[in-house]
Amino acid sequence: MTRAVPGGWEAGRVTWEELVSTALVGADRRAVPPESLLERAAEQVVRMRAGRRPGRGGPPPPAAAETLPLVPRAAADRLARMLAGEQGRLLTEWLETAAARRVRVPAEMIPGLLDLGARDRSIRAYLGAVTGARGRWLAGLNSAWTYLLAEPAHVPPDEVWELGTSGDRRAFLTALRRRDPAAARELLERGWSAETPEDRAVFVTILADGLGMADEPFLEAVLDDRRREVRQAAADLLTRLPRSRLALRMTARARRFVTGSGSGLRAEPPSACDGAMERDGVRARPPAGMETRGWWLQQVVAHTPLSFWPGHLGMPPGEIAAARIGDWEREVRMGWTRAAILQRDATWARALFEAEPLTDLLAVLPPEERSHRAAELVAGHPVDGQMVMMLGGVPRPWGHRLARAVLKKIVETTRNQPWNAGELIRLAGERFDPAMHEHAGEVPELAATLRFRFDMLKELA
Amino acid sequence: MRRVKERWGGATTRNTGDAGADRARAGAEGGGRAAARRTQAEQRESRVAAGLSELERWLADQIGQGIAQARQTGPADWDDLARRLVDAQTPGVAGTVTRLSRVLAAEDWPGLLLAEYALLHLLAVAHRRAAALPEPLRQTVRARVGFPVTRESVLATPAVPDHWDVVGCRDEEQDRLVARRVWLAGRTTGRLAMVLSFSPVGQPLESFPPPGTTIDADLAFYPGASPLRALVAERRNLVDAGPPPGTKVSQVPALIAEVLAADPWTDSWPLVLDGAVPCPDGLADDEGNALPLHPSAGVPWRLLAVSGGRPVTVAAEWTPRGLLPLTAWDEEGGVVRL
Repeated sequence: MTRAVPGGWEAGRVTWEELVSTALVGADRRAVPPESLLERAAEQVVRMRAGRRPGRGGPPPPAAAETLPLVPRAAADRLARMLAGEQGRLLTEWLETAAARRVRVPAEMIPGLLDLGARDRSIRAYLGAVTGARGRWLAGLNSAWTYLLAEPAHVPPDEVWELGTSGDRRAFLTALRRRDPAAARELLERGWSAETPEDRAVFVTILADGLGMADEPFLEAVLDDRRREVRQAAADLLTRLPRSRLALRMTARARRFVTGSGSGLRAEPPSACDGAMERDGVRARPPAGMETRGWWLQQVVAHTPLSFWPGHLGMPPGEIAAARIGDWEREVRMGWTRAAILQRDATWARALFEAEPLTDLLAVLPPEERSHRAAELVAGHPVDGQMVMMLGGVPRPWGHRLARAVLKKIVETTRNQPWNAGELIRLAGERFDPAMHEHAGEVPELAATLRFRFDMLKELA
Repeated sequence: MRRVKERWGGATTRNTGDAGADRARAGAEGGGRAAARRTQAEQRESRVAAGLSELERWLADQIGQGIAQARQTGPADWDDLARRLVDAQTPGVAGTVTRLSRVLAAEDWPGLLLAEYALLHLLAVAHRRAAALPEPLRQTVRARVGFPVTRESVLATPAVPDHWDVVGCRDEEQDRLVARRVWLAGRTTGRLAMVLSFSPVGQPLESFPPPGTTIDADLAFYPGASPLRALVAERRNLVDAGPPPGTKVSQVPALIAEVLAADPWTDSWPLVLDGAVPCPDGLADDEGNALPLHPSAGVPWRLLAVSGGRPVTVAAEWTPRGLLPLTAWDEEGGVVRL
């Protein structure tokens, strides 16, 4: 401490940065009394804390006004409880119902819901509707939530087709297609080449609503699209039009590959997958584990109008579905199954289901019949993973016959193998008509879930 | 460093002193409780004085040698120091020292640490010169050091009647206790208050009306130059009063300056802001003024959601490093706890 205290130190003209750097290296080294440094620092700290001027802020631009009404208070409170974990499996139904009723959730719940949507794609479409203008505004501020901008929201404004997000544009096209199918297709054709491949694929599927021969020239042209998903979507629609050029080309192929043979049928797969077949949506590369030619055969059958077969083979669908085919039987049946689903043909679905009860086919049947057939399966099967999976494919709400069969099964299983009933009880809780809560008293857990849904839907009504 | 250890060797002597205190306490059973309490109080005073003068020297040593190594040696040194301060019956100072390691995570830790050391130094000096301080400031210093104030003495002071808006509530776990802070703002008096309660982890806390409600009550304040902590002396009904009136963002610096001028150690103060626009890192007004959020607050997504980029009423806790949002009132007057 031979040097004098640096100038200005005692007079308080020292800067905060100087004080910090002196404290770091040590006041002794700079010949400053430590007490004096601490006193200067205390003064400055208080002055800095007290004298902190407001910074220059950059608030985000305000969100657009909401166009949908808020959900009723009781429904919002229930949603908050569900987000906290109560009956969390029913969240999807809450969101779906709220979206259909065209109401929006309270703003403070939106961040939690958008976090859920970031992990779970299945609820994103509902979130697009129920989070309203505030949800889209938030999605613009947080990169983890931008997925929301691809989901349709309700009530698109006038310039939405030119300026809207892709979600808004999809919603707009869907609504226009429902009102005026030709106008929707013409609008699409005008700017087709400028659309992104993802949008092109989705836009084509929107044409499924009100599909007719007037759409055929456009869809036929789309078969030349650069992107496979877009071509595939167009081909899937064209198979639903038996007089389309694609249907006729497929029919010509199918005529050669599957023929009548005495009382049975005979199949001969294509020897090659040429450019014309690929253009019509046949994929050359089979999925892993599948024989290449069989794969081609299956796709040709899947894209041939089902109305072609009875005349060609001289049998009604019921007999065709049950007929022995010999080699390639599996591929041809899979082709018909896929065709029944694509072409939504209940007659064929029924016939194929008789031959082999594939749950995918249930979706094509009218609800009452679907319930009836699923009920028969439930009655004749033990509770196992396969049954739960089959029932998982039957959408909500289950008809009375199926519900009664499942309830009976649950009661039996609870008595004999209680460890096996849990998953079925949970599934039943999600899919039964909630009005059945009064009849499920034998299974308290099921009754509680149904009662919860009953109240939940009443609040949202 | 060795110098410091030797100085702190005095603690051993104090421990023997403790045994002496026990003997004194035992002897006092016959000689009158008042005398025993007086002796106890005197002993505490001298123990605190010794502890704080050692703290002054410890701080001077640190600053003399330099704090560059604090990231490596700090936490162990502070634990040691905090234990000795507990022995010296200065729990308030010991608590501050225990929390010092929090600053090390920040990028600007040297500045934050110097600020903490400087305010500790200021407190030790203030206690040494307490006799010369005005009474309210002397009370503030004693409270910050950790002298206890009994409920009875607080409740014996005149209570402040008002309609108090409950503007925020936060529970924090510390040392197997849950500490609940409830912040209140008086409609007529404009006074702010904080009611603190504790309960063991896992046991329910004393219930209090939730943020967004307004209570008709009398509050008794703990003594000090900038009184905030209070007890509910008498609680009458809930009042239906709507969102609380607030301060403008631009008025906050002057308000905080006033608080710090009275009590420079203030590290928490409730604010009710009116017309504040939440931003990802602060609260702004429509003139371009803004107050930063505390780094630990993150992006206040729920607050942003409630505001939608428009001005709202927000209650927040001011801290030297930024605001911590507590409660927001949305357009429909709904209350959102943040």
